Amino acid sequence: MTDSQSPPGQTLNRNQSSSVLLAVETSCDDTCAAVLEGPRILSNVISSQAAAHSRFGGVVPEVASRQHLELTVPVTQAALAEADVSLGDIEAIAVTAGPGLIGALLVGLSTAKAMAATHRIPLIPVDHLQGHVAANFLEPDPIEPPFLCLVASGGHTLLAAVREHGGHDVIGQTLDDAAGEAFDKAARMLGLGYPGGPALERLAEGGDPAAFRFPVAMTREPGLDFSFSGLKTALVYRCRELGEEGLRERDADLAAGFQAAVVNQLVAKLDRALRGGEWDTVALGGGVAANGPLRSAVAAACERRGAGLKLVSRELCTDNAAMIGAAALHSSSLAYPDYLSFDAFATGPRAPAA
Amino acid sequence: MLFESSVGPGEAGRLQHAVAVLPALEQAADAAGGWESVTRIAVGLGPGSFTGLRIGIATARGAGAAAGIPVVGVSTLDALARPALEDTGKSAVLATTDARRGELFAALYLAGKRVWDPFVASSADVSDRLREQSEAVLAVGAGALRFRDELAVRAEIPGESSPLHRVAARHLCALGATDDVDASSDPLYLRPPDAERWHDRNASRKSPS
Ligand SMILES: [Zn+2]
Repeated sequence: MTDSQSPPGQTLNRNQSSSVLLAVETSCDDTCAAVLEGPRILSNVISSQAAAHSRFGGVVPEVASRQHLELTVPVTQAALAEADVSLGDIEAIAVTAGPGLIGALLVGLSTAKAMAATHRIPLIPVDHLQGHVAANFLEPDPIEPPFLCLVASGGHTLLAAVREHGGHDVIGQTLDDAAGEAFDKAARMLGLGYPGGPALERLAEGGDPAAFRFPVAMTREPGLDFSFSGLKTALVYRCRELGEEGLRERDADLAAGFQAAVVNQLVAKLDRALRGGEWDTVALGGGVAANGPLRSAVAAACERRGAGLKLVSRELCTDNAAMIGAAALHSSSLAYPDYLSFDAFATGPRAPAA
Repeated sequence: MLFESSVGPGEAGRLQHAVAVLPALEQAADAAGGWESVTRIAVGLGPGSFTGLRIGIATARGAGAAAGIPVVGVSTLDALARPALEDTGKSAVLATTDARRGELFAALYLAGKRVWDPFVASSADVSDRLREQSEAVLAVGAGALRFRDELAVRAEIPGESSPLHRVAARHLCALGATDDVDASSDPLYLRPPDAERWHDRNASRKSPS
């Protein structure tokens, strides 16, 4: 066993581009580990549990927790092997502390804490949402704050004002379902598999988005918050009106209309945030950011408002550990043994002090 | 024994595993002379609280992977039965934990051997199964305490303050040091996730077979 190069009590030197980090992320249904050298990704391993959850049509917390326990150590070892480093070379371990599914978070956090403690190296607890923001700081083409980041996934939907590397302000968020959750639920109603977003997008390609009118919520209300539950209810009614046979005939139109309503709402709020002229750059994060029509609509809105658009790769949009490592580069680390009793948090703003 | 520690539930019965297990593990490793001196980690596999088990096993696996030493699993009920079998002179011991929802996890030991593998059942079912036993059974653990009234007819149950009701880490160590251990260290859930039960129930309703 090698001792860490950084003695207990010392925090990482943020500007040190050579510091080698291991990052672990288990907040939802992907088991992820990555190794970073500064903002450079040496490995980024993602083990999707989608197959285990598909028959339930959504993420089942207990199933996710069981899968994480199976996968966390093997995925971590795979990330180290792919990066061609050993745990003895790692200077600190970054881990998602929340928000997310508490049972899932605790598996990754317990593993990461024990690994760090055994080697007496620092632990860096990371806020998952800051991870999505920080994906934009990764090589090969990082961007610098300030920028506006729209994060939309199965678990979260928010507009983040990013003015510095170490944190963000939430200026708008969903009041009910997340955008990706709305896609999953709609996909289920249309008899598509899980995860629903990509399946719904494919079905919508052959449909007419104007054939059915869906409410685009929250565009009349002031502010930058989102709401998707009314949209889901509208789809329930459309499905009922159509009946089983009608639904089979018109499913592509329904998918197209539903998707357009989600995209329109997301873009309307983004556009509203850009109106003041404060933001020159827009970034997208979260699994929904991989949605083609959303990407085009956001690109159009940015062009209209004269803002640049940064699109990270699909792998860095969806949950991954490289983004957790990226956030850790700008977060404070806890020296051994200060983190031995560190607990996870399921919800709410308990982002570790940045 | 170099070190042993035990932390009960905290405020409002909240389990302390996430905050308590790693400090205890680190103290234990220090007492052994550092991780370099530790050659194996034994961990309780349950049955018990799913989240609690996962915290313990994830912690053990993380430390094991980092220290480059094996992690072995020990049935928590085996560890619970051990002192009852060795120290009381009783040859029949029912080891239990509280499974919530009106049920308990249990295993039966006769003359030092496990004769009923860990299972989950209502106290009435456990009581029924005990009827077949001719020997006087000593029942220990949180399940026996919780269902004392239902089980007392078939088994002797020590007073609430008896240490026989609590799992002690020294017994996990003793059992983990033998060759008869579970090298996979997978938890003994004994129950599928609820969603699976609902799903299977709905599926069997839908398919007219
Ligand atoms: Zn996410």
